[in-house]
Amino acid sequence: MPDPIADPFLTLSGVTKRYGGVRALEGVDFACSRGKIHAILGENGAGKSTLIKIMSGVVAPDEGVMRVERREVSFASPAEANGAGVVCIFQELSLLPDLSVADNICVSTPPRRFGLIDKGAQRRRAEELLAAIGCEDVNPRSRVRDLPLSRRQMVEIAKALGKNPKLLILDEATSALTSADVERVYDVLGRLRRQDVAILYISHRMHEIEALADVASVFRNGRHIETFAKGARSNAAIVQMMIGREISSQYPPKPERPRPAPMLEVRGLSWEGRLRDISLDVGAGEIVGLGGLDGQGQKELLLALFGVLRGVKGEIRVGGKAVSPRSPADAKAADVGIALVPEDRKTEGLMLPMTVAENLAAASLGRFASGPFIDRKAEDIAVGEAIRELQIKVGSPEDPVWTLSGGNQQKVVIAKWLMTKPRVILLNDPTRGIDVGTKQEIYRLLRRMADEGAAILFYSTDYDELIGCCDRVAILYDGAVVRELEGAAITETAIVASSLNIDAEAPAHV
Amino acid sequence: MTALRLALRADDRPILIAGASIVLILLAGTAYTMATQGTATLLSPNYLLQQLQVGAFLGIVSAGMMVVILLGHIDLSVSWTLTAAAMMATAVGGPWAIPVGVGVGLAAGLANGLGVGYLRVPSMIFTLGMDAVLRGLMVAHTGGFAPQTAATDLMRALGAERTAGVPNALFVWAAVSVLIVLVLKRTVLGRAIYAIGNREQAAYLSGMPTRRVILAAFMISGACAGLAGVLLAGYSTKAYQGMGVPYVLPAIAAVVIGGANILGGSGRYAGTVVGVVLIVLLNSVLSIMQMPEAGRQIIYGAVIIAMLLAYRGGKLAHT
Repeated sequence: MPDPIADPFLTLSGVTKRYGGVRALEGVDFACSRGKIHAILGENGAGKSTLIKIMSGVVAPDEGVMRVERREVSFASPAEANGAGVVCIFQELSLLPDLSVADNICVSTPPRRFGLIDKGAQRRRAEELLAAIGCEDVNPRSRVRDLPLSRRQMVEIAKALGKNPKLLILDEATSALTSADVERVYDVLGRLRRQDVAILYISHRMHEIEALADVASVFRNGRHIETFAKGARSNAAIVQMMIGREISSQYPPKPERPRPAPMLEVRGLSWEGRLRDISLDVGAGEIVGLGGLDGQGQKELLLALFGVLRGVKGEIRVGGKAVSPRSPADAKAADVGIALVPEDRKTEGLMLPMTVAENLAAASLGRFASGPFIDRKAEDIAVGEAIRELQIKVGSPEDPVWTLSGGNQQKVVIAKWLMTKPRVILLNDPTRGIDVGTKQEIYRLLRRMADEGAAILFYSTDYDELIGCCDRVAILYDGAVVRELEGAAITETAIVASSLNIDAEAPAHV
Repeated sequence: MTALRLALRADDRPILIAGASIVLILLAGTAYTMATQGTATLLSPNYLLQQLQVGAFLGIVSAGMMVVILLGHIDLSVSWTLTAAAMMATAVGGPWAIPVGVGVGLAAGLANGLGVGYLRVPSMIFTLGMDAVLRGLMVAHTGGFAPQTAATDLMRALGAERTAGVPNALFVWAAVSVLIVLVLKRTVLGRAIYAIGNREQAAYLSGMPTRRVILAAFMISGACAGLAGVLLAGYSTKAYQGMGVPYVLPAIAAVVIGGANILGGSGRYAGTVVGVVLIVLLNSVLSIMQMPEAGRQIIYGAVIIAMLLAYRGGKLAHT
């Protein structure tokens, strides 16, 4: 077999990196070359993040050598890596929310005139870069805070391109994007490839990797397992390489049965013009998906049900009883029993510096309290059970939760809510940026919770997931439910068509 | 002190550094007194107890301040909360003096908590405003002169007298400390305080009653300042204008020197106690050395900055 990496741009030899006692990378040899899109595959915790942090100068390796164009380098900072042409788009957005789009795009090297920042030139540069990735609709003057997540991610990409990369690293850069934006990113990457830029691409979406990559490398447990050219390995073989064990079917089977009695009933829910007259039922034991394009009101619907939004109109019933939660504290109360797994586990789901145990107990402290005091024994027992039940990989429950991998962090967020014994579980894109193995565990868990009688309402940006997991899918468009799909009618075509609010059955005119 | 040492863990670098600094300060002061007077005044139990008595007032203020700092907030109103509590206590007199003093503190804390927790005014601004309002009220109350009323016997007993050679104020500080440790380590409220200090959004979305927790924390801080005011009035036999002003910044400094994160979320109470002792001893040793006021201020400030830099040395960049 020919070596897929000829004439490498960047090489690593024998690179090892440890964090405390944990080996994040172990003796890694790796190379990537210009003009190729190179996918990096691996579960969370496989070492991908550490790999790109080393390449982009965020952390220094403990052992080993890195070469750029055959010259040995050691980057002391991301700025030095940028200087050598290595630019990374990180999974966590690195934008400053209160600055304008143009300020952000030019933040490291703003164009200057007489020593002062030339705002006009800066805006023109931002406009050029945004146009290059097909985002003419983003106003360089608008504040980043006011943009939706997917637009912010596009600004991030524009900012990276502004640094004229020779090696561009994308870490889960498309996980927050709408499908239209994903297409634009594909186009941009294709063009950069023709311009002889080396591209490293990390994604958990297999079909993206199939569509894009020329070369792929698999990592597992901090080791580089194999690098191969596109098409040289089957999907099944790749997945097995990633998880090191055989996997059965990806989604748990859906039960065949009549629609159960509703546990959650929503009637005429409206909020500030962003939610329009939404009516929806979720039965006990049912998983109902929320679909549609990003930003059509799915998140607002979940937040409204959870009591976070002010001024919500309409009726909510849980178990036949009308409820009107005015805060998450109301929503989780035993006689209501609503739980929400929020969108961003790092800022909304977890207190990162606090321990795994403290995070797990955070939503159910009332259950372990006798008077104002916490019953530590009861808490320890419940925490131990949760860790076992969800198979959370953790050294000790007293470790800070940030030391866990992304997938295990997400399990902590889910477990935290299961400990409140909820009747209705709302999930906001719970598998974003999570590895295949953990995703499957979460799918099985959702089905098990449903089988135990919970009503589950589940927003996902991944159509595959909606199709594989949900008994029914409600598609939202502009704050209203435009269609409900059930059973065999849940297909990708139907979801896409309803998402765009077009009738798929009608004959096409174009 | 042994209990304190047992509670230390190896990773509590700030507490260890601050503890070592206390020993250094004592040694430096002793070397000075040995050279000039030929005595080791600083190591005599009487001197140390006297320092701890002075430290008790700061310690009680710092205990409340720490609770608010753990939330990621700050209470700049403790100076006039303390003063107002002392003045009201002496004005009322009789058996109600102490409850009224603490009640004034609770009321100030209630107002702060409503402003910060419910109206969402940044605590730095709201408590500063509250401080000015309390000052105005006290000037109106006294006409701007020192109040003529005196501390009650019970206030004097708690603030100035000793039992079996140990200042009673120390017992009060110890009792407050036990209460604060219980609240922080054992209660739902304490857990919620740390959670909010780490990430208020996540705490809120976990269904914690964040506004009520903020309210409670400011009331604890107010009550502590009020109690300290009552004791200080007992110690000085009367209340006087601005008696709480020298306590605000040292209280914040003590909490931070003790290793608590000024942005909230982390810190152990033992650290705050060590921070209080360090500040009190440093002041005392500098005055024994007859350092001029300017030099004292410079050294005092420089020590605080140096300690924080030393703590940071323990953490690597990019974490």
